[in-house]
Amino acid sequence: MRILKKVLATSVAYLWLLGGVTVVLVPIAWMIVAAFSKGILLNGVPLIPDPSKFSLEHFEYLFTYMSTSSQTMADYPGAFLRTLSIAVVNTIGVVFFGVITGFVFARLNFIGKKKLLLTMMVLQMFPSFMGMIALFLIFRQFGWLNQPMYLALIYTAGSIPYNTFLVRGFMRNIPRSLDEAAAIDGATNLQILSKILFPLIVPIVGFIAVGAFMAPWLDFMLQNVMLPAKDQMTVAVWLYRTTDPFNTMFYNPLTFMAGALLIAIPIMIVQFFMQKYMVYGLTSGAEKG
Amino acid sequence: MKKRTIIDRIKTSFANIKANPDAFKSGLLSVLVPGLGQLRNKQKIKAAVFFGVFILFILVELVTGGYIYLFSELQTYPGDPIYIIRDYGGIFTRGLWGLITLGKVTAQTMYRGNLVSAYNKVIPWLSADNSVTLLGNGLIALILFSLYVGVWITSVRDAFVSKITILKSGKIETGKQYIKRIWVEMFPFIILLPTLVMVLFFIVIPFLFSFLLAFTNYTNAVKVPLDLIKWKGFATFAKIASDAGWVKIFMSVIAWTFLYAIMASFTCYVMGMINALVIESRYVKAKKFWRTLLIVPWAIPSMISLMVFRNVFDLNGLANQLLVALKIMGPVSNFLHAVGLQGVVGDPIYWFIIPENGNLAKAVILMVNLWLGAPYFMMLITGVLTTLPKDLYEAAAIDGATAWQSFRRITLPLIIRATLPAIVMTFTFNFNNFGAIYFLTGGGPGWPTAQIPTSMYVSGGVPGQTDILISWIYKLSFNNNAQLYNIAAVYSILIFLFIGFISVYNLSKSKGLWEDD
Repeated sequence: MRILKKVLATSVAYLWLLGGVTVVLVPIAWMIVAAFSKGILLNGVPLIPDPSKFSLEHFEYLFTYMSTSSQTMADYPGAFLRTLSIAVVNTIGVVFFGVITGFVFARLNFIGKKKLLLTMMVLQMFPSFMGMIALFLIFRQFGWLNQPMYLALIYTAGSIPYNTFLVRGFMRNIPRSLDEAAAIDGATNLQILSKILFPLIVPIVGFIAVGAFMAPWLDFMLQNVMLPAKDQMTVAVWLYRTTDPFNTMFYNPLTFMAGALLIAIPIMIVQFFMQKYMVYGLTSGAEKG
Repeated sequence: MKKRTIIDRIKTSFANIKANPDAFKSGLLSVLVPGLGQLRNKQKIKAAVFFGVFILFILVELVTGGYIYLFSELQTYPGDPIYIIRDYGGIFTRGLWGLITLGKVTAQTMYRGNLVSAYNKVIPWLSADNSVTLLGNGLIALILFSLYVGVWITSVRDAFVSKITILKSGKIETGKQYIKRIWVEMFPFIILLPTLVMVLFFIVIPFLFSFLLAFTNYTNAVKVPLDLIKWKGFATFAKIASDAGWVKIFMSVIAWTFLYAIMASFTCYVMGMINALVIESRYVKAKKFWRTLLIVPWAIPSMISLMVFRNVFDLNGLANQLLVALKIMGPVSNFLHAVGLQGVVGDPIYWFIIPENGNLAKAVILMVNLWLGAPYFMMLITGVLTTLPKDLYEAAAIDGATAWQSFRRITLPLIIRATLPAIVMTFTFNFNNFGAIYFLTGGGPGWPTAQIPTSMYVSGGVPGQTDILISWIYKLSFNNNAQLYNIAAVYSILIFLFIGFISVYNLSKSKGLWEDD
């Protein structure tokens, strides 16, 4: 009886897991097959893949097609490099502002500190789209649309409140006696930050840096609004364009699969690499600092 | 509670003033001219600092304005209506004027005897007003002005407080001591300055700007450099609350938003917990292998997965292909019809397209969201499971508890308590999960034509059956035929209030996060 129960439980568990894994993997496998299939129609994607019929035409298209003649580079690599540049600038900005602000709130005492902290707390809770209409109208007014670097500034500013709390929480777990010892030796605040604290907070800096680097690849809302020109597309906008059936000129689901695959693979590698830090970030945001 | 304390504080400060009439005189002098009170207290350097800031403020206003032309030009163009602040004011007065009026003079009209053009290099006041610029500049002026008022108030308080200290101790703080103290106190603000500027310009001002748009008439009917935006008070609120058709559509969008946010969080949580429990159970070997496979959806950027699923549920997509290949298209389609998801039996199934299948599209959204969201909770709950105390289970086993009882009474409460903040966070995230709707269905299928009020067809920005509030706001703002900025702003305020409510709750739960040691 007990053995029967154990066999039953084991087989139910494995059936459940097998079912789950099938559901997880089938769409992904289909995506990969679609990326290597010929033609432009989804019903041209075979359910049972035939490697001899695979073609690279969609990848070729990615690296050759230009939607306007003013471009010096094909749409897809151009979008890739543009997103990359936004990501790099955003990463530098986020680390700079995150470390400075986190330090000030973790280590210095000043009038109005509590009020400022509370303001930051409230600000980080509201999604950035709240100000999006205004940003769009103001940017359009001053001719700042289609400027990827201005977009990077928006990302950087938007992430300041949240990262402040992450860095501050991490820094508060470092004993103050370290800075006090340095202060007795005559170190200034900035020296304490750069020489003593910074090496100790590298893990959290790495965490917010990766987050900042990923953000521009995963956002669509702001990019679609702030970079409307065809020669200023980002990867997200490019992906949406190829998979939007109402955009008859560029709708091409199989090319989308190819482009999505090339973006998804590096991001997946980073995600798996950062897995344990991600969980740390998820929980540290919720728990006490 | 809070009201009492404010009244108490006012009472004590009044008592304080009555008790120190001499210090009150110093404070009063600083109200008239910042720094005067400090001068009376014989603190010359401090007085100079406050007076310097005051002069700087006046100078900025004078230099940025056209006050020197005021008298020579005024007689030149007599008659006609004239806006003196608009034409000659400095950054502060003109900014506030713009904020209050949103502009008065449009291009191609006559103003003070001249033709107004879009931009006049020589005579600035002959350039047409632009409401968006005026609103933006007005907010900046307002914030700078309030900063200055803050300094002024500080000077008044300082004059008052220092006089009391001087009277009590007989010592006067020297200028050198004062500057040193201010430097130490100001240092955090100096290194925070870039941060504060960024937050101010890219978060606070846009928030306020969007908020104010709700009280204007700004839609695509107002072509901005040519027309002026006007303040309308609560007219937009009244309009969308009084139009029965709008209210009906709004209510169904709101209902679906809540249903989606609750169901999406709940299903992902349950599925994640089941997966975590199954993998961590003693019946399963190669735990790491299964875990890694089931985490895959979390590692793929959700935007890409959602777009892939849009194609999976295309008319020619994987879903329909599989149903045909497995020869179960008929039964499945009949089943979906029988349970009320599909309005008409279809072969192939129109997942996101026809209005009759609104419920089917909603169900598919929840299923896809489950695919995307379950791994996150699986990881979180797996983490919690490893921290559960073993001795509790041993004690329960000794007391004769069954496996179900020890799960129900020990495991479940502990998991829920540890993951509660994450559940709240997921709920608010899903409430604003723009991507899950916009990338997957684009808000479709549309409503049956009869259900959409005519006024909405005229104004544009019609939502689909699966649009949640945020994706509808996006359509209202940025669809080319809509651009109903004022209505979008009204709905944004609703989200703001709702999220604010949850935030206050969350804040009270996690005081340690923002309170000081």
